[in-house]
Amino acid sequence: MSTGRERRHARLERALLAVAGGAVWLWLAFRWVNSWFGGVVVGPTQPLVPESFVAAATGTGDALGAVANGVPVVAQAFDLLGWTVGMVGFASQYGPRLAVAAWLTVVLTVVAILIGLVIAVPLAAARVYGRVSKYVALVYIELVRGTPLVAQLFLLYYGAPFLSQFIRELPGVGQGIVPGQAVWIAIIGFIINSSAYQAEYIRGSVESVDAGQLTAARAVGLGQLEGIRYVVLPQALRYAIPSWTNELVYLIKYSSLATFITVPELFTRADAVGSSTFAYTKAYVLAGLFYLVLVVTASYAMSRVEDAVAIPGVGNANDRRG
Amino acid sequence: MTAALPLATSDWGYVWANLGTLIAAVWPALKLTGAALVVGFVVGVPLGTLEVFGGRRSAWLARKAGVVVRGTPILVIMFITYFGLGLSPAFVAATAALGVRSAAYQGQVFRGALQSIGRGQMEAARSVGLSKLGAIRHVMIPQALRRFVPGFQNEYTIVLKDTSIAFAISYTEIFYHMYNLIPEQTTATPELFLTVAGIYLVLTLTGNRVLDYVDDAFSIPDGGASR
Amino acid sequence: MSHLLEVEGLVKRYGDELVLDGIGFDMDARDVQVLVGPSGSGKSTMLRCVNRLTEFQGGEIRLDGTSVMAMDENDLRRQVGMVFQDFNLFAHLTAKQNVMLGPRRVLGKSKEAADALAMEELERVGLAAQADSYPAELSGGQQQRVGIARGLAMDPKLMLFDEPTSALDPELIGEVLSVMRELAEEGMTMLCVTHEMSFARQVATDIMFLEDGHIVEHGDPEKLFTNPDNERTEQFLRRLTEHGDGS
Repeated sequence: MSTGRERRHARLERALLAVAGGAVWLWLAFRWVNSWFGGVVVGPTQPLVPESFVAAATGTGDALGAVANGVPVVAQAFDLLGWTVGMVGFASQYGPRLAVAAWLTVVLTVVAILIGLVIAVPLAAARVYGRVSKYVALVYIELVRGTPLVAQLFLLYYGAPFLSQFIRELPGVGQGIVPGQAVWIAIIGFIINSSAYQAEYIRGSVESVDAGQLTAARAVGLGQLEGIRYVVLPQALRYAIPSWTNELVYLIKYSSLATFITVPELFTRADAVGSSTFAYTKAYVLAGLFYLVLVVTASYAMSRVEDAVAIPGVGNANDRRG
Repeated sequence: MTAALPLATSDWGYVWANLGTLIAAVWPALKLTGAALVVGFVVGVPLGTLEVFGGRRSAWLARKAGVVVRGTPILVIMFITYFGLGLSPAFVAATAALGVRSAAYQGQVFRGALQSIGRGQMEAARSVGLSKLGAIRHVMIPQALRRFVPGFQNEYTIVLKDTSIAFAISYTEIFYHMYNLIPEQTTATPELFLTVAGIYLVLTLTGNRVLDYVDDAFSIPDGGASR
Repeated sequence: MSHLLEVEGLVKRYGDELVLDGIGFDMDARDVQVLVGPSGSGKSTMLRCVNRLTEFQGGEIRLDGTSVMAMDENDLRRQVGMVFQDFNLFAHLTAKQNVMLGPRRVLGKSKEAADALAMEELERVGLAAQADSYPAELSGGQQQRVGIARGLAMDPKLMLFDEPTSALDPELIGEVLSVMRELAEEGMTMLCVTHEMSFARQVATDIMFLEDGHIVEHGDPEKLFTNPDNERTEQFLRRLTEHGDGS
């Protein structure tokens, strides 16, 4: 039983989240559009803040870090402080670069989850209702869920040359804003991966719906398919929201693995920045912050969806991915 | 084109020739998985307990720390531990990264387990005079641990697959070898994949069987009633 | 002369809702006080205020002259035992271990002493043979009797019973009530919330009728059942006995 104070804190937190999240997304959208049109407002990777700000932050950071060197705990404290201030400068300077690359992360995630869903539904249906197709679906699902994602990406990238060739030869691939061949391979890999996991989530949520629901539907005169459509599915979909949110979060994070098949997404760019500046920690922490923002805003959006469609007494199965 | 399909005998020959290396890599993979799970358990259980029973500030901190870790890709965490913080050798950095990630997730599983135990148990423990800490220690945690096993099985599978990412910091687990064998004979990639897939599947199945056994050994008898 | 339990002007709110509105009564040692009333009248809440499982906003509760708010709450619960409607036995422990937990961890007794004590209490409630069974293997009546043994093992001054038989199937109620009757005869001070009117009539030294957070009437059981002062009391008790929980 939460107190009034706790509830107020929670509301405040949610409001702050919505505002901050909205602001970040607006900034991201600005940087994307800006870069698509070749840098209308500022250079595609040029920060909005002036050079002097970046220099000041970096300078202050270095200065702080040099304070009290050699004094046991104090030196560490100042190092941390200096690092944090320097991080502000670093983020201002390289943030735009990462933001532009984050577009691919979003694309990979969204395409994979939506098309994965389209494939997952018949897969789940086969698992539950099929005769022969049940076993085909099972093999596919277990194979995909039981092997690491990196291995799957490498299989498609190196082990399916006909695929790479086919994509490369499609008109427009790799030119202008059309992503190159590696991106398409990555998309296919994530679609396959996501379809297997989503099929299991769907199967689980359909099975969470009490069998008596369909029985009652039939008793009222609805056919099998109608019963599923009007009675089982509305409940199953609500049960599935937490798992689906899970899947969304998983894809956002694991899209980073596309870096290993040369996809120029967020992590690749952060890695490049790290290598060129040697400020590895700052670069990876900055990347982490980007992912965190994407994950937190996505989870928040999904919880709003969940609230919007909630029915008392329906919902809350629990499953988890990575 | 046929060379790309998993039918070429020369490709299977290549796999066969290197099978020893692949299978030998099982031990490093399991070692890393085990270490990460242990770190995750030792840190995660208190974290989950804090989130449920801690004072407002510590519960808040535990929750937020979990959100940050669970919102960061394991690849990023691992590169921070290895290249950023400079933990070495690769085993230590990988264990730290996977361990931190696992702690955040095991904390959630344990939190769920604690919350699934009715309030009545806490009330009963307090009514007998146990302090809050005593009640948590002697009544809540023992029961939560038993409900923890299915979530832990899931976690084992996830961590095992995530160890493949340690290839990027040159830790010689299973995928590391697949990664290095591909360039020599790219046509053998599908065969390599199937072999590696087989290895991971065997590890997952046996691991889960072992955990099933642990679950049975520690479960509370209920005279046949299902739970 | 102070009473064993003194409740004075007890006020309890849940948010804006006033649940207990100035309750007051006293209990002496060996008293068996029964609380009756419609659901939502605050009976269980009142019980939980006595052993501070719930906080109250106004009034005073004194155990042996000391305010319960002045005591360490764990100390208080060493002196006041509680039996729950849903038993709340520790699911991961055997019957004997359930009874032993308090004496061992709170009273600091040795394993052997706690074991002997637990067996004694289980004997007292007639369950020595089930000492090594787990709660899920026991019937509802058996679980509740273990719950009573668990409360007794702390050697309390006062035992609180929160609708101890409401969650039981009819044929199991009797075994629990007979244990409670024996306890009363042995001189335990008991504060019970119950609907079991036969028990109340035969065992209680005083019955209190609670409605809307007030004590409407209280007094000798025979009087309340045959010739109550208040019309509401008469209506409520008549409805209860008509529904078969009575004699």
